[in-house]
Amino acid sequence: MSELPNISEIEADCLMEIFNIGVGHAAAAMSNIVNEEVRMSVPSLHFTTRSDAADELGADLSLCGISQHYQGAYATEAILMFPETASFEIVRMMVGDMIPAHELGAMEREAMCEIGNIVLNACVGTLANMFEKDLIGSLPVFRVGSSQHILNPADEEDDPILLMLRIDFSLERQQIEGYLAFILDMSALRDLREQIRIYISRLEAGIAPVGLSMP
Amino acid sequence: MSRQILIVDDSRLSRMISRQYVLSLHSDWQIAEAATGEQAIEMAAVNPPYLILLDVNMPGMGGLEAAAVLRKSHPDTHIVLLTANVQNSVQAAAEQLGIGFLSKPIIEAQIHAMLNKLEQTP
Repeated sequence: MSELPNISEIEADCLMEIFNIGVGHAAAAMSNIVNEEVRMSVPSLHFTTRSDAADELGADLSLCGISQHYQGAYATEAILMFPETASFEIVRMMVGDMIPAHELGAMEREAMCEIGNIVLNACVGTLANMFEKDLIGSLPVFRVGSSQHILNPADEEDDPILLMLRIDFSLERQQIEGYLAFILDMSALRDLREQIRIYISRLEAGIAPVGLSMP
Repeated sequence: MSRQILIVDDSRLSRMISRQYVLSLHSDWQIAEAATGEQAIEMAAVNPPYLILLDVNMPGMGGLEAAAVLRKSHPDTHIVLLTANVQNSVQAAAEQLGIGFLSKPIIEAQIHAMLNKLEQTP
């Protein structure tokens, strides 16, 4: 938390707590998809470039990633990542014996997009509800490749400092590790901080938080 | 009594899952599938369904826009959003349109509960 410049202790605490709640809903969604317990780490916050974030994740890692861009009260890119080798197993866990194994391969990409869509929206939707602001999401994009390719697909020379929130998670029984990342540029961070200030001021004014209920 | 269901989702996998869950309760029901809001409107005009299960985030016309059109053209059809977009604003929009809301990932028991509730609706 000390890495956050010009953000008060209470703002940083609020940011972490709100993402924790969102991630909790994402974990519940993931758990319902694969029908087993999903363990999630506390979010870690880093100011970093896309390139450095990819190196930190592991330059040699071959991943599949599902990415969605959100616009509204603040802008963010949310990415769900798994080891490439785990993707077929995750889809199989989702559909069980509903679809024959020989047909599953052809649907893997589409299924992973849908899994990303559900998990990312569970988190981002919760955040939007807590801030009482709408966020409009793009359709999911699926990529397979190195961590650089997933986190920095444009491979632009200009690789500015961004705020990255990263959550590591694991499907215990299958020993599958995955990652959830939220990327905000500095302008988006300012907008997010504004939402956090509004949220805190509501609390200080004694207005009960809303938007925590799930359907 | 056999019913006609229209499942609208750009994800083929989601359509397959919803189809299976409906058929596991009512194996004789007829199920049609559409991948876009526009396609759903066209199909509903030709063969008016008893129930439309509608995703929200789709290419082209989104589910809420399609629901508004379908609500007017098919006032007696049950329409239920089935979406990963769990934002309160989407649920409020569903309520305003007088349609149901279910969040993904859907489980079989939720689909069955919804279908049983609809069957008890006069």
